[in-house]
Amino acid sequence: MSGALLLIRRFAQVVPVVLAIATLNFVLLHLAPGDAADIIAAQSGGSSAEFVEELRRSFGLDRPFWQQFLFYLGRLLMLDLGFSHVQQRPVLELILDRVPATLLLMLTAMAIALALGVLLGIVSAMRYRSVVDALVSVLALVVYATPQFWLGLMLIVLFSTTLGLLPSGGMETIATDMSPAARALDIGRHLVLPAATLGLFYVALYARVMRSSMLEVYGTDFIKTARAKGLSESRVGLNHAAPNALLPVVTLAGVQIGHLLGGSILVETVYGWPGLGRLVLDALLQRDLNLLLGILFVSSVLVVVANLIVDLLYGVLDPRIAQR
Amino acid sequence: MRPFSILVATACAAASLAGPAAAQGAPSCPKRGGTLTYSYHPEPTALSTIATSAVPVAIIATKFYESLLSYDGPELTPKPSLALSWTVSEDRKAYTFKLRPDVKWHDGRPFTAEDVKFSVEKIIRPFHSRGRVYFGDVEAVETPDPLTVVFRLKDVVPFFLNVFQPGEAPIMPKHAFDGIDMSTSGGVRSAEIMQKPVGTGPFRFKEWRKGSHVVAERNPDYWDKGRPCLDQIVLRVIPDGAARAIAVENGEVDLAPMSGLPEAEIQRLEGLPRIETSKKGAEALGPSMWLEVNLREKPLQDLKVRQAISLALDRSRIVDVVWYGQGTPARGPIVSANPTYFNAALKPYEYNPAKANQLLDEAGYKRGPDGIRFRINHYPLPYGETWLRLGEYVRQELGKVGIAVQTQSVDFAGWLKAVYTDWSSDTASAFTHNYSDPSIGVERSFTSYNIQKGATFTNSMNYRNARVDELFRKASREPDPAQRKAQFAEIQQILHDELPVIFLMEMSYTHVWNRRVRGLITNGISMYSSWSGVWKD
Repeated sequence: MSGALLLIRRFAQVVPVVLAIATLNFVLLHLAPGDAADIIAAQSGGSSAEFVEELRRSFGLDRPFWQQFLFYLGRLLMLDLGFSHVQQRPVLELILDRVPATLLLMLTAMAIALALGVLLGIVSAMRYRSVVDALVSVLALVVYATPQFWLGLMLIVLFSTTLGLLPSGGMETIATDMSPAARALDIGRHLVLPAATLGLFYVALYARVMRSSMLEVYGTDFIKTARAKGLSESRVGLNHAAPNALLPVVTLAGVQIGHLLGGSILVETVYGWPGLGRLVLDALLQRDLNLLLGILFVSSVLVVVANLIVDLLYGVLDPRIAQR
Repeated sequence: MRPFSILVATACAAASLAGPAAAQGAPSCPKRGGTLTYSYHPEPTALSTIATSAVPVAIIATKFYESLLSYDGPELTPKPSLALSWTVSEDRKAYTFKLRPDVKWHDGRPFTAEDVKFSVEKIIRPFHSRGRVYFGDVEAVETPDPLTVVFRLKDVVPFFLNVFQPGEAPIMPKHAFDGIDMSTSGGVRSAEIMQKPVGTGPFRFKEWRKGSHVVAERNPDYWDKGRPCLDQIVLRVIPDGAARAIAVENGEVDLAPMSGLPEAEIQRLEGLPRIETSKKGAEALGPSMWLEVNLREKPLQDLKVRQAISLALDRSRIVDVVWYGQGTPARGPIVSANPTYFNAALKPYEYNPAKANQLLDEAGYKRGPDGIRFRINHYPLPYGETWLRLGEYVRQELGKVGIAVQTQSVDFAGWLKAVYTDWSSDTASAFTHNYSDPSIGVERSFTSYNIQKGATFTNSMNYRNARVDELFRKASREPDPAQRKAQFAEIQQILHDELPVIFLMEMSYTHVWNRRVRGLITNGISMYSSWSGVWKD
């Protein structure tokens, strides 16, 4: 199948999936008792019943469920995500404000995880049953089992409080004038700890997967042929085994995009990183319905698109898939 | 116009003669410049207390906006702010404020009496969550000239001079609402000024990066020349409590106000030499924590049962263990830090499980074969783990006297609905504020005319006592301070004895800051004040 046809077919699958997710989100969020009007009134120290009703009316929360649902679907079809009554801004604007920070964090974490994970996996497999292999395996296990939340706090205590090397949180130094280059460097310094915290878990995961995938490839005929041709062990490993062993790691990375977004809620909370994950949490606690629906919609689209990209990457990594 | 007799204006008249700077009655800044960084979670959802007067909003909004008055001391002695002086008529139904001349909005336009009239009539009264309590009795707001405002009241409002706080009655620029639909809260709350404030305060809005920070910078045209002392105030958003504490410890954050750190972290930081903590400066807020009890059905209707619940809970243990010492055992509805109205004759509540058992037996609730007398549910306030710990403690202690407690886990919206709309909770932990006067903060919880389905933090218990209603009504109109004090004293005694809620703890708003920061605690609403005199060493 050609790449274009694959893309069209996949895209045709994406639309009903996203619509189904949107419907499910709407129904589930409406099942929970209470709403944003209650919360706003309560956070203001309490108020009269009329005040709460007036809020509810102006948010459109007093309308019947089906009306709210049809209104939501109609808006969604026109790609209008609505207005956040809690934050007093259009939902799309709020989301677009946060997407760059989350993408920066996620992509850096993913890059760290893939680079280190694949490297450690290769080394581990090439030094199968050596001390290095054992060390990598144990380390991977420990990191895999460490809660991200705790790891984040420990890294802050070590690198920020004790050593004073890195800032404890935030995305940049606030209220200072910097040149673009200095600002980029400043954001980079702020990014180190959150990206490491988010990425380390996946380093462990990818290292384990890459190692076992490499070992599997080592058992195949073409590796035996390569060795018989007298290629050095490093060329066999790096040029022949590793590229073929990458497929499961790429699959996993695609599936993990959703998880990574989930993980970023914790990491963004610990580090005060102004991303989408934090916005989800705030919206949830404030029962900011439109914002929550908007974020869930955008993140479901992100996950679906990421999987689409992975599908297309298969074709690059293994041309046989694209030809099927 | 009828003649006014000057009742209150002595201090301010003298101050007005001495000029605006002296009117603030404070020394000039010992040191100028610097940035004060504070952190509080959650992040504000707006920068005006009209949108919501939640704590995070009130802290930052009061640096941009001012009201007619500012206040000194825990008892909130009024002093000039946007009003330079004021007079009160003999019948206490007309208040005349002379406004400060040459005050400018942050956009450079002049501040006038029309802004005050507009703010009170069109914004605060209809849209501030306590606007109707403050200005519901205002019959007319007159502006005889651009620097005079007269409030004519239908009836005496004894706390009227308390309400002109920057967070409670912020004066906003009329011109900023041109073209805004003023008929619905949605229209007003979504006005641009709610996100980008234009006030008269010592700091003006510079930047808000959502999820990261808010920056307020010095207002160079501030009317109090020489003020503010600081160049900037930065609010840094750090959602995690432990990370917030580390930032204070590191010196990256100068201040965590209003118990903005987990209780255990406050206790830890209190020991550090460069950190200062204080529970003062929130006397006019008076947060009080209690168990709301649903009195609609037996067995909680029975006074003996409520007395037994009260006796079964050790308030000292709640303060020391659950809240890490951040509070004081409660003795009634008004907190003991209230310098004017707390009834010191109230006896502390006793902890005596044996007596609790005896009372439950007397009330006819004998233990069954499984040791249980009856079952109730409990809704802990979903404000984090401390409240869950309290819920566990309540379950454990009431279990010892044979009351089986089933704790319900819901989020805040669900909790509000169960407690204040569905009235389906048997007991719920809650806290409310006394605010600057019991008629504002306490009356709403204990009067039968405040049993309103859907109204948050009102009389969810269905408590009805005609005498309490009568006393609260009288006190809300009583011009004589001594009489008023006696009325509130009687109310406190009745509520102390009748236990419409199980009063547990006066909460502390503990502020934690770096010792370099000075001048923070000035009155009973210190964190909701302008911080124009706060400086950094």
